Amino acid sequence: MSNPIKSLSTRELMEQLARESEGLSISDRRDFLKKGMLAAGAMTATTFAGTAAASKNLPPMEPSWGRQLGAGVVDKPYGQPSAYEKEVVRRTVPWLTAESIASISMTPIQDLKGIITPNGLVFERYHAGVAQIKPEEHRLMIHGLVERPIIFTMEDLMRFPSVSEIKFIECPANGGMEWKGAQMEALQFTHGMLSCCEWTGVPLRVLLEEAGVKPEGKWILAEGADGSHMSRSIPLEKALDDTLVVYAQNGEMLRPEQGYPLRLLNPGWEGNTSIKWLRRLEVGDKPWYHREETSKYTDLMADGRARKFTFVQETNSVITNPCPENPIVKSGLIEIEGMAWSGRGKIKQVDISFDGGVSWVPANLKGLVLDKALTRFSLVTKWDGQPWLLQSRAIDETGYVQPTLGQLREARGTNSIYHKNSIHSWKVEANGGVKNVQIS
Amino acid sequence: MFRLVKNALLATAVTTVLATPGMVSAGEKYGFGTTATAEEIQGWDIDIRPDGKGLPAGEGSVADGEELYEQLCATCHGLFGEGEGRWPVLAGGEDTLTEERPVKTVGSYWPYASTLYDYIRRAMPFTAPRSLTDDQTYQLSAYVLYLNEIVDEEFVANKDTLAAVEMPNQEGFFVDPRPDVKNNRCMKNCADPAKLQIVGTLQGVTPVGHFVEGADAPAASHQAQEEKERSLHGETVEENAADTLALTEDAIAGRETYDNACQACHSSGIAGSPKFGDKSAWKGRIDQGMPLLVEHAIKGFSGETGMMPPKGGRTDLSDEQVKKAVAYMVESSQ
Repeated sequence: MSNPIKSLSTRELMEQLARESEGLSISDRRDFLKKGMLAAGAMTATTFAGTAAASKNLPPMEPSWGRQLGAGVVDKPYGQPSAYEKEVVRRTVPWLTAESIASISMTPIQDLKGIITPNGLVFERYHAGVAQIKPEEHRLMIHGLVERPIIFTMEDLMRFPSVSEIKFIECPANGGMEWKGAQMEALQFTHGMLSCCEWTGVPLRVLLEEAGVKPEGKWILAEGADGSHMSRSIPLEKALDDTLVVYAQNGEMLRPEQGYPLRLLNPGWEGNTSIKWLRRLEVGDKPWYHREETSKYTDLMADGRARKFTFVQETNSVITNPCPENPIVKSGLIEIEGMAWSGRGKIKQVDISFDGGVSWVPANLKGLVLDKALTRFSLVTKWDGQPWLLQSRAIDETGYVQPTLGQLREARGTNSIYHKNSIHSWKVEANGGVKNVQIS
Repeated sequence: MFRLVKNALLATAVTTVLATPGMVSAGEKYGFGTTATAEEIQGWDIDIRPDGKGLPAGEGSVADGEELYEQLCATCHGLFGEGEGRWPVLAGGEDTLTEERPVKTVGSYWPYASTLYDYIRRAMPFTAPRSLTDDQTYQLSAYVLYLNEIVDEEFVANKDTLAAVEMPNQEGFFVDPRPDVKNNRCMKNCADPAKLQIVGTLQGVTPVGHFVEGADAPAASHQAQEEKERSLHGETVEENAADTLALTEDAIAGRETYDNACQACHSSGIAGSPKFGDKSAWKGRIDQGMPLLVEHAIKGFSGETGMMPPKGGRTDLSDEQVKKAVAYMVESSQ
């Protein structure tokens, strides 16, 4: 345990920052802090007292659920979350898209624990809605520059020896609404185009070996069976490395939203390349330059030119506790917690700053630390009402250090939409509330 | 003793039997799946490349494209490709790529004309993908290029002319150079605190009602947003009570067609279509009588608020299927 806010100079600095951000004088600010603490304390006390007075389920009373019987087995043949968790759902920002069929929703990462995203909460991205596919009528065709073009049924694919791997999947537009400035008031919308599952399927390499790629084959076109027939060109090198053809996630068959019955998974690469409802893989000698790799998913630079084939999701991290949805409700010990991930490999280190990036302290990685998977970090410290400018900074096993927003903007301008992996800032206010801010 | 020996022998035998088929020699193939026939491949091999590989026989003129575009595309993309609402803008935007708000269109941004044919062929029109003929796809490609002043009105697109079109921004793309920024793992005095600028969040554009009490934030779903917009205009939307209504047999039979076809537009009111369950939007239409409604749905119709393509663009549907889907929508919206 460490308490990084201890030197007087740092506290002075924080007050200066707080003053700048709120236009308050030092004395006003001190009053504000005190009032904020009182208000927060009073609110908490009222809330708990209110609940206690109304409830007959608290000690020394026997709770009602202990004095009756509950539902029996297979009351719900497929179990659902507790009714008290109804706020833990995917959400969208409707003004982003014209309607819901070609749109995106975000995972409530503010509510999730560990590194696995439950299947019903994995973020959605559709270009023509969710295809409803009969598995016995689904086919995967592999053709083009191959010795033997093959059509696989689902039964055929599931006869191959399977592999299961935990990998994150992230839309490259995650955070993309904030290139020009902070505008999302919640973690779910700043970072929720992100999920992590255990995926089960067959390495694409195995299927390509089965078809026999001709020497001139250099690229793969992957295509979906849904109404958008989403297509992306993927270098053969990646396809032979770690790309999977996936039919299951977190132990059960894929959800329709995730491409049932078959999808591609390009670990660590932009989610759009992991084609859902996968029906066709064509081997060719050049890329195809389809809509999703020209008009979309290219990164426009300040000089008017654009980067193409920007596949890798670079190292990123965010603090999930506290965050706007999880304000600090009581002073005292607090676990600063968050998630880090890298499309280039494992997370090696995460550091945390409490002063907007002036000084940093190392956090601990906890739980599984896996290649191209969400990784949890944690730091236990103490909060007593002081303002914080919280940031996390991840470093991956290649030595890449998550950049600042200023560094990204300097290199790319503000119109690239995709791949905004900069250090994120939360402003913790005196009452424990958390606001999304940008620091430069 | 005898028993133990017997069990041991049995175990050895089982191991041997199991081990033999478990061995797969290197390079040996599984042999799963069936060899794809040329005909099977041809049916699904729809992709086009910049060098023209994949472009089919056939052709389409700008003039024919104009008529088809106005019928199938203009409701979302606008008569001149300017885009309705938040639907994609197809034309214009020249020389805006360095501006604060660049307008990325076919003409201002797309590097290859082949992409236009490929995308229309695989995904358009939005409500009825894979419904166009090869000639129609050429017609629409030609017309969108014309809207962008890349070809003249005499242009006829075919596999040779389309591949030969040079797009204004063809040289505008380069391969990903990342990692392009280098941060250091600084631990102390990493920035000058006097120079730090803190910029707050632009408020009021995030749906935060789930955790901010009393927040007057934007709606959290497309449907809720539309209802909110309507209510701002003094309109009220009745609750969709379809599930509690007693539907006729026709309507129940039409539900599947609705789910697979009609809902693409009618669930959200795309292109001025009357929204499922919206009684006020449907009333005037229902008053005209079922026969006329069904006729409009089958043959297509241009009304005051929008345009209904024949069978919503799903010409694969039978008249009977459309009729039942109309019954389902009508009964659920009155």
